[in-house]
Amino acid sequence: MKGPFRLVSGRIELTMDPREAEALSVVPGLLESVGETGSDPGADQLDQAPYPDDPVANAEFRRLMAEEMAQSRAADRSAFSLTVEQSPHGVTLSSGEAEAWLRVLAEARLVLAARLGIQKDGWENTFPEDDPAVALLHYLGWLQQSLAETLESSLP
Amino acid sequence: MMTATSRPDELEDIQVDLDRPWNVVVWNDPVNLMTYVVYVFRKLFGFSKEKATRLMMQVHNDGRAIVATGPREKMEMDCFRLHNHGLWATMERA
Repeated sequence: MKGPFRLVSGRIELTMDPREAEALSVVPGLLESVGETGSDPGADQLDQAPYPDDPVANAEFRRLMAEEMAQSRAADRSAFSLTVEQSPHGVTLSSGEAEAWLRVLAEARLVLAARLGIQKDGWENTFPEDDPAVALLHYLGWLQQSLAETLESSLP
Repeated sequence: MMTATSRPDELEDIQVDLDRPWNVVVWNDPVNLMTYVVYVFRKLFGFSKEKATRLMMQVHNDGRAIVATGPREKMEMDCFRLHNHGLWATMERA
């Protein structure tokens, strides 16, 4: 499938126009705006509880993993922020940077969707695309799909 | 204070229970794209394209799929890695 990302000599190239670059430039701020759990649906979405019926086990999981998760996300966001500003016409990413982008795109989409109140499959038919948040959700999804396909094509 | 106690008969059962494996379950969500879920399954678990696609379709159609089974600590790490990629994953007794 033809998409905006391409594998070129072991690196991943994204071609975009200035309008797309502008849309992408809001992503770091979007993720920085994620607030506290309980007051921001985006934060609740990112803070998963692996044990459906065991608050004690969830608390222990968080105690062990929360710091590592925060560090990993911060590193991904930093890699994204540094590369997204390369040029308004496109960026070239190492495989590590591309993996960071992939996680950032997923994170940003989950935050946007949670704040929009999207809970079920088929939301594409009911949420209007002229809403800027919905448009961004679609655009980042288009990138997510192309980047996942590009990275998958390089798997053994 | 306890004056004395005896060895419970169920001790073997406790050990068996602690050794029982856990499943990592991935749940359907309305946001992540199918191609992304397939790639994450392949990258994290080394699945073939066929197996990753079959599990992704199971998540999509049935609402959930078991993607890994094993010792609790290892399954928690798998759960963590899935969460880190924005997938909805939980633990359950196998």
